[in-house]
Amino acid sequence: MKALGRTILPYLIAIAVAFAAVGIFIAAMGFDVGRAYQTILLTSFRTPNGFIQTLLKFIPLTLQALAFTVPLTAGKFNIGGEGQMIVGGIAAAAVGITFSDLPPVLLLPMVILAGVLAGAFWGLIPAWLLYRFGLNEILTTVLLNFVSFAVIDLVATGPWRDTTAGHPTTIPIGQGGWLPMLINNPPLHSGIILAVLVASGIYIYTSRTTGGYELVATGANPRAAEVFGINVGRMFVFSLVLAGGLAGLAGSIEVAGVHRRLIEGMQSNFLVLGLIIGLIARGNNLAVPFVAFFIAVLEVGASAMQRTLMIPVEMVFIVEALVLLFVLLSDVVRRR
Amino acid sequence: MEKQPILELKNIRKTFDKLVALDDVSFSLLPGEIHGLLGGNGAGKTTLMNILYGLYRKDQGEIYLNGEKIEIHGPRDALNRGIGMVHQHFLQISNYTVLENIVLGSGITHRYTMKLEPEARKVEELCQRFGLPVDLDAVISTLPIGTRQKVEILKALYRGVKILILDEPTTNLTPQEVDALFESLRVMVNDGLSIVFITHKLREVLSVCDRITVLREGRNITTLDRKDASEDVFVRAMVGEQMNIEKSVYFARDTKTFGEVDTTAVPILRLNQVNLLSKEGVPRLKDVSFDIFPGEIFGIAGVAGNGQRELAEVAAGIVPPTSGKIEQNGKDVTGLPVAERLRRGLSYIPEDRLHDGFLPKASVAQNLILGVHRQPPYSDGRFINWKTVYQKTREQISEYNIKTGGPEEPGGNLSGGNIQRVMIARAFSMNADLLVAHNPTRGLDIPSMDFVYQKILQRKAQKQATLLISEDLDELMLLSDRIAVIYRGEILGILPREAFDKYAIGRLMSGIRSTEPATP
Amino acid sequence: METLITFLRLVLLSMVPFVLASQGTMLGGRTGIFNVAQEGIMLLGASLGFLVSYQVGNNFVGMLAAMAAGAVFGLLLAYFTTTLKMNQFVIGLSLFFIGVGLSTLLPKLIIGITLSPPLIPTLPEVSIPLLSQIPLLGPILFKQNGLVYFSIVLSLLLWYFLYRTQRGLELRAVGENPMTADSLGINVVRARYWTAILGGALIGLAGAYLPMVYTGTFTEAMTRGRGWLAIALTFFGGWSPLTILTGSLFFAGVEVLAFRAQVIGLALPYQYLLMVPYLATILIMILTFRKARVPAFLGQNYDREKRNL
Repeated sequence: MKALGRTILPYLIAIAVAFAAVGIFIAAMGFDVGRAYQTILLTSFRTPNGFIQTLLKFIPLTLQALAFTVPLTAGKFNIGGEGQMIVGGIAAAAVGITFSDLPPVLLLPMVILAGVLAGAFWGLIPAWLLYRFGLNEILTTVLLNFVSFAVIDLVATGPWRDTTAGHPTTIPIGQGGWLPMLINNPPLHSGIILAVLVASGIYIYTSRTTGGYELVATGANPRAAEVFGINVGRMFVFSLVLAGGLAGLAGSIEVAGVHRRLIEGMQSNFLVLGLIIGLIARGNNLAVPFVAFFIAVLEVGASAMQRTLMIPVEMVFIVEALVLLFVLLSDVVRRR
Repeated sequence: MEKQPILELKNIRKTFDKLVALDDVSFSLLPGEIHGLLGGNGAGKTTLMNILYGLYRKDQGEIYLNGEKIEIHGPRDALNRGIGMVHQHFLQISNYTVLENIVLGSGITHRYTMKLEPEARKVEELCQRFGLPVDLDAVISTLPIGTRQKVEILKALYRGVKILILDEPTTNLTPQEVDALFESLRVMVNDGLSIVFITHKLREVLSVCDRITVLREGRNITTLDRKDASEDVFVRAMVGEQMNIEKSVYFARDTKTFGEVDTTAVPILRLNQVNLLSKEGVPRLKDVSFDIFPGEIFGIAGVAGNGQRELAEVAAGIVPPTSGKIEQNGKDVTGLPVAERLRRGLSYIPEDRLHDGFLPKASVAQNLILGVHRQPPYSDGRFINWKTVYQKTREQISEYNIKTGGPEEPGGNLSGGNIQRVMIARAFSMNADLLVAHNPTRGLDIPSMDFVYQKILQRKAQKQATLLISEDLDELMLLSDRIAVIYRGEILGILPREAFDKYAIGRLMSGIRSTEPATP
Repeated sequence: METLITFLRLVLLSMVPFVLASQGTMLGGRTGIFNVAQEGIMLLGASLGFLVSYQVGNNFVGMLAAMAAGAVFGLLLAYFTTTLKMNQFVIGLSLFFIGVGLSTLLPKLIIGITLSPPLIPTLPEVSIPLLSQIPLLGPILFKQNGLVYFSIVLSLLLWYFLYRTQRGLELRAVGENPMTADSLGINVVRARYWTAILGGALIGLAGAYLPMVYTGTFTEAMTRGRGWLAIALTFFGGWSPLTILTGSLFFAGVEVLAFRAQVIGLALPYQYLLMVPYLATILIMILTFRKARVPAFLGQNYDREKRNL
């Protein structure tokens, strides 16, 4: 228990300092700091709706963070979660619309799976470029993000377009593709179960299996891992494809659970937040869901804060970035 | 007639985190002498000189140059004061030329056009004077190690140093080149330089040094004139009381034999006409053939960079040969992936332990199972049994004397010598039929080296085979049943133990083929 | 002919952010610092440059502000990696986040949330007398805004400095082998700091160029990945100033072509054309990956007291 306390302490200090720093800024701009803090931290817990909103954000955030931390374990940086999520959503919507008459027992798994496979494919491309040509994955994953923006625009303004909507959006997917609701009001879909299961599975994989060990060894020293029999190239590819699948899953969950259609911009800022979560959690897959929940709380609070107090949401983003920076610094302090 | 010391280091203390590297060490250098700094790995010799050269900061102590107290804040200071250092691992820019490397960092006449004629002339004059001929326009990466060392020395001479420190300069030289180096040192001393010669090899200091200081575990044990003390005095000073010198392997007289080898049995390892071409098509191994029998220690001698690494990696299955066959215990294993070779009874100690064998960001336990993590008892193939892993790790920490906080300690915290012990523990713990060991005792102090030698000899008794690739000729001659000499990827000769002769091996190491046919 | 001249003029105009950002990346990389925060620094440069220019009424002051911001980010990058020895990619990503966040925060604070953002005047053209009269080359090369000239001159100066002076030789040594450079008395730490700071300033300036030349205002994510593209450019420009300059011309050419194709109204849906610059980049990376000559210690930190293991 004491060891747990000692690990959490630097995080708490980092959070406190980050809040304090931004708080000074907020006060200097003439806003009510106390109310700002309250709104940011407590909105998730004040109403059932607030809490559900937090859980709904928690799902894509966790999956995006894992999509970053899994390749990170192998030493690779996947910045393409955005594109992988988008194509995942596209595939999910495509299947959901094309086969909209199928019953749930068929359509729902198809929709979810389509998203996972599409995301995995979008991760396979940079993985293959890395494997075959040694191309830096930071660049290739990012470039594919931009490509995916064009693709989703194509799809959302194409034959499936919902002409009544003001913003590029498709017609809804068939009802069979909707994720069943756990609670109806406020709306909580069963994607949360999926997310928790997947997160646990990833954790067990990396910490208990030989495959997970090989991933860790690859990230710790790819050359040494190779010398001692681990197929490092395959590890890189596998980690990126798995990551793509995770982000793609996030995409299909958003389509099947939240929007029930494809909306341009559905990827929101989940990627950047996912990266921040992954880095704050220091790549530890067990810590990711907890950090993700915390960030979800902050994000829900941020939009409430902008609505009610007119303080821009970016303030909270700065808080999150500062928390990351201070967590990283605490590492340095601990080393001395 | 007492000469005043040109250099004095007094009461130097240096710690790295919690490790005390130097504890109240004093050292003095007389003008015009070659002073040997002797001790095993980890004794503190390089640390002391790095402090003098400004690469490390001392915690306590004073430095006096010509009687005047000075402070050295960095290599620039040291060089300005006439102190130069030739490091064990050359500090050269591989894709610059020899001339560029020599003049880098010093004032250049034509700073804005980079015409280097005046500098080139100065360097050529030095080459003549000190007998160190080099081609100034050659690119460093194309040069052999002996030549690169000359470049290192010229770097210091070019800056007009009065004190030259050489850190283990003979590691990569043939016996003949060692003699030539000692000649050059004499020329330098006659020209007015004073030299500090760092080494762990007793025989060398006895042949070239005027005075010898012995360091052990960060302390100055003794300083003696060469002619005032016998070899035994120095040996005892180097290892202290903890080692039983009589029973040790390290100090055994090299006429001792450790056991016969049965050459009629099926060889544990057979290489047949193995060739290896690099990615660019350059031949790295040429028609290499030899057998290693059960209970045999097969040594590979050679100057570093003549194909040893390639040989180690081909023998261990890390790199498949371009042509030729490899058999283990009579079965063809050519081209099998490393994981499979490991499973069939192979252990490997890579030369570059940090890059090729160690996971600094992983824990000690995770390091110890690298390569064998799919095998029992650590795993059933799918899941890892961490309880067993930790238990075995604790056993190995104790048996191999690995200084660490525990199985979960991050590997990056370990010192160089302890990392090597992890490599060794890993290699010996699986009791494999074949051990490929490349410079296994690098970085170890003398008692640890002795421990490794005992372990290797144990393998003899257990009828296991060891391919021992080493740049330490003394080590090879001490342990091997046969020694093969590798030169530019070719095995130029294989000598049986009865025929071991330092200079004969040295000739082969330099590429001078023997007129007699190679004895198998 | 007219369209060719217009096209080439546009290319030269568009290459500037690439040149500036890539040279800035290259400079830091030459001493071993691998900056991946360009996108964030450019956005911040665009945002801050626009805001300052708007408040003060002078584009040049805006540029200075953007360069200052970039320099600060460069300083932070150098400090966290060189002095505190933290992982360069992680720090780069963190700075990227902060840059992006600040770039959208500042306009909201200073201008407020509005639907019609204010405009600043764009940079004027500067015709070089006599030279701009040359047929063909004249209007292309010598009738551009000041930063175009600056980029070209900067690239030439950088090339000369790195390859024709003693300091340049020493600087390159720092990225090739910091241990060696250090042992010869070259100040590795100082080299890393100043290249990171100057590099950051150039990247910030690259960002400021966007509102000051293209749109006259700041919009969220207006860099559209140019920061990342700059990294790719630096790689296949071989971390060398002149090849980076030519590479930037090429990139700009692709970008302008795609844009023109949209305007001309090619039968292809415009979204495909949007993808072209990014896909082209990947293609070029594939074609040149073998020849990329990277400073040997790029991305690695140097600790003088690290015991020789």
